[in-house]
Amino acid sequence: MGYKSLKNGLMVALLFAACNEADLDKLNPNGGTPESYYSTADELTKGVNAIYGKAQSIQLVAREWFFLHDLRSDDVASGGGQLEGARNQVLTGAHLPTNSVLTDVWSGFYRTIHRANSVIDGSANTKNISDELKARLVAEAKFLRAWAYSELVTLWGDVPLYQTTVKSLTESQARTPADEVLQFVISDLAEIQADLPLTYSGTDVGRVTRGAAQALLGRVYMERGLEYYDEAKTELDKVYTSGVYTLMDEYSDNFLEETAFNSESVFEIGFANDQFNWDADGNSAGNVEGNSRTQEYSAIGWRNLIPSNGLIAEYERTADGFPENDPRFSDNFYRIGDSFNNGSEVLTDALVQGNLSLLGGVQEKISWKKYTSLYKNNATFYTGAMNMRIIRFAEVLLNLAEVENELGNASTAIGYLNELRNRPSVSLPNYPIAGKFPVNSKDEIFKAIVHEKRVELAGEQHRNRDILRWRRQDKLTTEPISYFQENKFERLPIPQVEFATNASLTNADQNPGY
Amino acid sequence: MNKRKPIQRILIDFMKITVAQMILAGLCSALAFSFDTNGQEILDKKISLVVKNESAKSILNRIEKKAELKFTYQPQIVKNLKNISIDSPAISIKELLNEIFDSSVYYEVVGNQIILSSVDDAGPDVVTPERVEKFVLTITGTITDESGEVLPGVNVLERGTTNGTSTDENGKFNLNVADNNAILVFSFIGYATQEVPVGSRTVFDISLQPDATSLEEVVVVGYGTQKKSSVVAAISTVSSKEINALPVPSVEQALQGRAPGVIVTSNGAPGEAPLVRIRGINSINYASNPLYVVDGIAQVGNFNLFDSKDIESVEVLKDANSASIYGSRAAAGVILITTKKGARDSKLHVQLDSYVGVQNAWKQLDLLNRDQYIQYGTALLTNAGAALPPRFATMNEPIYEGSTQTFAQTETDWQDELFRSAPITQTSISVSGGNEKSRFYVSGGYFNQEGIMKGTGFERYNLRINSDHKIARRITLGHTLFIGTGKQQREQNAGGRTQIQNMIRMVPYIPVLNPTNIGGYGGTTGADGSDPQNPVRSAVQDLDVQNNTRILGTLFLEAELTKWLKYRVNIGADFNTGRQYIYQPIYNEGFNGRSQATLNDNRDNYFSPIYTNQLTFDRTFGKHYINAIAVMEYQSATSTSLDAAGNAATNEIKELNGLSNQAVTGTRDESVIYSYIGRINYEFANKYLLSASIRRDGASNFAPGKKFGNFPSIGIGWRISEENFLKNASAISELKLRGSYGELGYIPGNYLWQSTVSSSTNAVFGGQRSLGAYYDRLGNQALTWEVTKMTNIGIDAGFFRNKLTFSAEYFDRTTDNLILDVAPATSTGYSQPTSANIGDMRNWGFEFQAGYSENSGDLKWNLTGNIGVVKNDVRKLASATNTLDRGANGDYGNTDITRTEAGHPVQSFYGWLTDGIFQSADEVANAATQANAAPGDIRFKDVDGNGAIDAADRVYLGSFLPDFSYGLNFSANYKGLDATLFFQGVQGNEIYNGTRVLTEGMLRLFNSGTAVLDAWTPTNTDTNVPRAVNSDPNGNSRTSDRFIEDGSYFRLKNISVGYSVPEETLRAITKNTLGNLRVYVAAQNLFTITNYKGYDPEIGSRFSNQLTQGIDYGQFPQARTFLVGLQVGF
Repeated sequence: MGYKSLKNGLMVALLFAACNEADLDKLNPNGGTPESYYSTADELTKGVNAIYGKAQSIQLVAREWFFLHDLRSDDVASGGGQLEGARNQVLTGAHLPTNSVLTDVWSGFYRTIHRANSVIDGSANTKNISDELKARLVAEAKFLRAWAYSELVTLWGDVPLYQTTVKSLTESQARTPADEVLQFVISDLAEIQADLPLTYSGTDVGRVTRGAAQALLGRVYMERGLEYYDEAKTELDKVYTSGVYTLMDEYSDNFLEETAFNSESVFEIGFANDQFNWDADGNSAGNVEGNSRTQEYSAIGWRNLIPSNGLIAEYERTADGFPENDPRFSDNFYRIGDSFNNGSEVLTDALVQGNLSLLGGVQEKISWKKYTSLYKNNATFYTGAMNMRIIRFAEVLLNLAEVENELGNASTAIGYLNELRNRPSVSLPNYPIAGKFPVNSKDEIFKAIVHEKRVELAGEQHRNRDILRWRRQDKLTTEPISYFQENKFERLPIPQVEFATNASLTNADQNPGY
Repeated sequence: MNKRKPIQRILIDFMKITVAQMILAGLCSALAFSFDTNGQEILDKKISLVVKNESAKSILNRIEKKAELKFTYQPQIVKNLKNISIDSPAISIKELLNEIFDSSVYYEVVGNQIILSSVDDAGPDVVTPERVEKFVLTITGTITDESGEVLPGVNVLERGTTNGTSTDENGKFNLNVADNNAILVFSFIGYATQEVPVGSRTVFDISLQPDATSLEEVVVVGYGTQKKSSVVAAISTVSSKEINALPVPSVEQALQGRAPGVIVTSNGAPGEAPLVRIRGINSINYASNPLYVVDGIAQVGNFNLFDSKDIESVEVLKDANSASIYGSRAAAGVILITTKKGARDSKLHVQLDSYVGVQNAWKQLDLLNRDQYIQYGTALLTNAGAALPPRFATMNEPIYEGSTQTFAQTETDWQDELFRSAPITQTSISVSGGNEKSRFYVSGGYFNQEGIMKGTGFERYNLRINSDHKIARRITLGHTLFIGTGKQQREQNAGGRTQIQNMIRMVPYIPVLNPTNIGGYGGTTGADGSDPQNPVRSAVQDLDVQNNTRILGTLFLEAELTKWLKYRVNIGADFNTGRQYIYQPIYNEGFNGRSQATLNDNRDNYFSPIYTNQLTFDRTFGKHYINAIAVMEYQSATSTSLDAAGNAATNEIKELNGLSNQAVTGTRDESVIYSYIGRINYEFANKYLLSASIRRDGASNFAPGKKFGNFPSIGIGWRISEENFLKNASAISELKLRGSYGELGYIPGNYLWQSTVSSSTNAVFGGQRSLGAYYDRLGNQALTWEVTKMTNIGIDAGFFRNKLTFSAEYFDRTTDNLILDVAPATSTGYSQPTSANIGDMRNWGFEFQAGYSENSGDLKWNLTGNIGVVKNDVRKLASATNTLDRGANGDYGNTDITRTEAGHPVQSFYGWLTDGIFQSADEVANAATQANAAPGDIRFKDVDGNGAIDAADRVYLGSFLPDFSYGLNFSANYKGLDATLFFQGVQGNEIYNGTRVLTEGMLRLFNSGTAVLDAWTPTNTDTNVPRAVNSDPNGNSRTSDRFIEDGSYFRLKNISVGYSVPEETLRAITKNTLGNLRVYVAAQNLFTITNYKGYDPEIGSRFSNQLTQGIDYGQFPQARTFLVGLQVGF
């Protein structure tokens, strides 16, 4: 090679090497940007799906949400040494603002709200989409946002309110009075009803229905105060008369994997698979969308929580002078000697670890059956595809009963209660129950409602909400929470991490007592 | 004749095959090796030549060019020759010379030089080519270094002539000289040149001494080399010998204790990349890993595929002056790795290294046996008012249906079951050689290490081919090529817990095996009230295998444009392909089980090409010396991953074929860096040194407008020993003061400034999954590099002809725009933090290094030591009160363990102070309110005096950062025997002993350490172990000084003793087949002096980047290894 020509060639190469610096512009190829996303029907649908995905995550319905409600209620007791510390703190009222259970639920709901806001804001730019579909998708997002806010207000009282997507770190909000938040929720839930269908089919089953919006709105009016029971009645009546919902003949069909989305289910969070997704937000590469409820409460295995003695005692037993035994007891609980795993095995004392309960003055091991999968297997480490019912028709009936009673319509109220007792698998005598539940006055009917609600909805995350509301509305005759302390336990503490990150809050904004 | 081929012949043949493969690989097009070219061949070489009436000088020039040889002669011998004409298509050199000189000169061939001398000088004999052989005086000899080791490649020259040679691989030479008036000159880089008159001797065994001023010693710096004496930066060089002293698979591990200021913390798990920290913790948010540059290719770590035997030298660039040439990626320091090239001694060198050894855990903890466990468990649960597990009452039942053994008869030592004696072996073979034109180095190796815990191991194959060639007089073409493939079987983390954690917690009355369980392993059930994972089952059945194949290659062309200006273009690429295969079969051991098998098959590819253009100016003007470079560089990196997963209802399917729930995700990450680099090194009179550089980097990692950054540096030096007033001080051989300042950058991950929509979640509708899309992070357009400003002051001194050397450094580095995660308000719903340049952290410290070597006599020895001191201080986080608290873990007390806060060292331990044990209810009542406290619980100190033990009573409890770290190496040689002792240690660091939370924490019912037998009871009050009470209501196991331990250790990292068979004996026995033979025995971690109570004070990091270093969650401990090895040279 000629030396000169080589030299020249190299110099050319050197100059050429000052390449194109446009290479430096790289955008993340693994996803779109928030500004450009949500522009098609498909993208908007996926945006909505992600809100459900969040609701279904470990921070909420797959784990911490049911723990938080149940632990704060008087429905459960510690199963024994396996109950983790943070949960035990909530159970005994020893929770601090740093408690991980309440922190998870708080962030879980706000992440739900963020995802909903992203869709609601983003829908403004969506093209090539039918008005009907767009309205429905936005309505679904608004429902899920409304549900999140209603839960936040129930648990924490005044909370920060974000009606649109947060665009910068400095946009964090101070607390908004609970009633204002509820008004926002009410206005959304009223407005979206027309955009939601009564039912879905195929792979849309499980999306928010008009009935769900009405039932939740009824619940929220009751939450807002006694003076809104008229409005609550209107909404709940819409559900009752829609013709869409009936009680299942078999009570336990509401808690089996095989009978999901049945005619009693108004709003339900779906799970799939038997693997559990440990990501806090339910984000994952893999298809793992299981529910941890069964492995947490199951009679065999960790048995973290067991039914409380109070709850057990609430069930009607002939031994206690009731005319009949309530069959819902054995639908909700396992006792030693019960069969499980499709009837192929019998629960023995050696299989069940942990604490004892009191039934009729005798100590024995009683465990949760509701929402556990022992009915069809013997796995202790099972995280099943057990859907969680957020609203079922039975609750609508019970809320209607309470509203009607409050509005002075005693017989209508009693009628709703008896509908539940007349469910074929239950078949208990109608109210009044002589010597136990007379229904001659508003107060007596209220007691019957409390009783019926507790046994019907045991372990379904309603009891805590009811106790908080009844306490606020001065309905409680005795305090059900043993550790209760006024001016503290009405609200959960706002998580410490919120104070650490939210410049609009100071420690003085903490709920009292913490 | 059918003679057996000598081994060298075979190896040359082998090499030719390799060469063919290389050509196929397209990496190098011109490889031609020639060996032992003899004079006759050159003289017989034919060229075509046509000249008309030209001078002898001009004809000789033409021959030089055509025949690529060189004539050396005194000018006067061609002066009086007549012009001649030649016209021949093929004429031999010999014929030409006879034509030109008309037989009036002697000529002698040395390499490709022909030395011409006058007949008159040599005597009256008739000149013929054979006259070459008439040099009568043949000198032979062996050249050794100061320690008696032979020195190959030493130049041997007859003074005043060009007659010379160099020593072979055995240090031997052979030279013909004119007569006994000749003077021999022996010279070698780094050694003092010696001149010896021939006189009456013909055998010269010379021992060269290191050059008093080390003038010629060269160190590798970024984009070039530099004389060591001229360096003004802080660079530590680690030799090939030191790198290869330990049987570790990666070069990073080999650096431990070798260079001051470099802290290496290894996880004992085979193949696991260690943590390397140069001069402290560089970043809070990122890994602080140094930049590695291998033969010019910059890359991020993990060198477990790399064979350290291929390494010529490792240079650690510690200060800004040396590292800032790597600009935006150099903030955590730079490690330059240079691989071997062949020697230019026209000889073939074949070296075989092999060792085999056995590794063992050097320590076990005292855990409860079966009866102690029942006793402890009964107390633990009874004190908490909880029911006992049904099993405690039914211990006489069989361990499984049909077994004749009962639980009461079962006693499993889970430490014995999980730990094992594990073999380790490595074999490497290298072939190298070269001459003036070409040189090469080829090596192949195999490494295999099983872990001391079942279910772990690392295996590797590697191959390297390096070569370079002068393809024209001024042009060199060269390449490096490395291919390695490895397979790592990783430690299992069943239930998200380390194997050690499961091993400690596993119940002693449970059998390892239980044939009635699905999967066949024993485990606890509901009846046991305890749910540890059987660690042996997960070790044996669950697989997490990482396969990697890496190719690293460079091709360079260097042209001498003029004597003082060189152009070099370097094209290289780093390619890695990996597969992680995770197989988790169905099993059921009771509490724990898996109802579906899970398979993960994760593939990743990494490709990073680099293109470097470099001009180097190097010239001396009188007393001024200037070396300057200008570089333009482009490097990009693309990583792609494809992760697939699926479930199976059977254990038969081991690949993703026909599985349920199959899911696939893929990602791509791309980055590009453009760089423009300039540097000038200036010296005046060998005394005053200046080095200044600047690098301008443009990176794709930032938002438009934020992509470019400048990284300047300057260094100055003063060689006081060259000043007249010191030049004659014979004791002082070197004294240099130096200082530097510069800026270095750190590039965070790709796309951090952007907010991205991700489609990685699902909702379930109608039993079917439906994909969901969301974004959970705010971007930051203003994001830019972390920039570290660094000052360094150093002194180098050498005494008594550098027998004693010493150097000291002081450094101070601050980063005032650290990228930190700014957590958005939880209520904004963004779950991921936004990155912003807001932090400020300072690291500063001292480094000392000293060496002494004694090279005379039969016993030669040397001692080197180094100490590094690094201090760290966080100066600013997101706000003055912002803290980063990390390490909370339900199994370890559930409170955060470290806190990072302005005014304190990064990730300091943070928790409560213990104040003894409550002995009575009165004491509890009189103390500060402590929720759920009872007699027997730990009393914590009410530091803030508010009458209650709360979060505000936490204080700083120490740091994982040592006061200093050090290494001490002693080597000695006595005749054929050699010995090395290498000590290494750290002093003054704290460890949060998480294994003691497991063995003494008594959080829930699990097996524990024997310490719990001494738990407080009303009758056992003289103890420091609190009462056993299930679920720890008082928080006795919260983070406190109770579990903080001194992590200092002093360790005999390596001891080896070897014997080399004397060469003459060896050659005689092996009929010249073997050139050298050394056998040795060695031990690693033979003893460790430490007060640390866990398995090993050298704890790797479990979560490398989460401010949890120094917490022992039960990390894989270091093994004690014994090995025997063999080194053979042919």
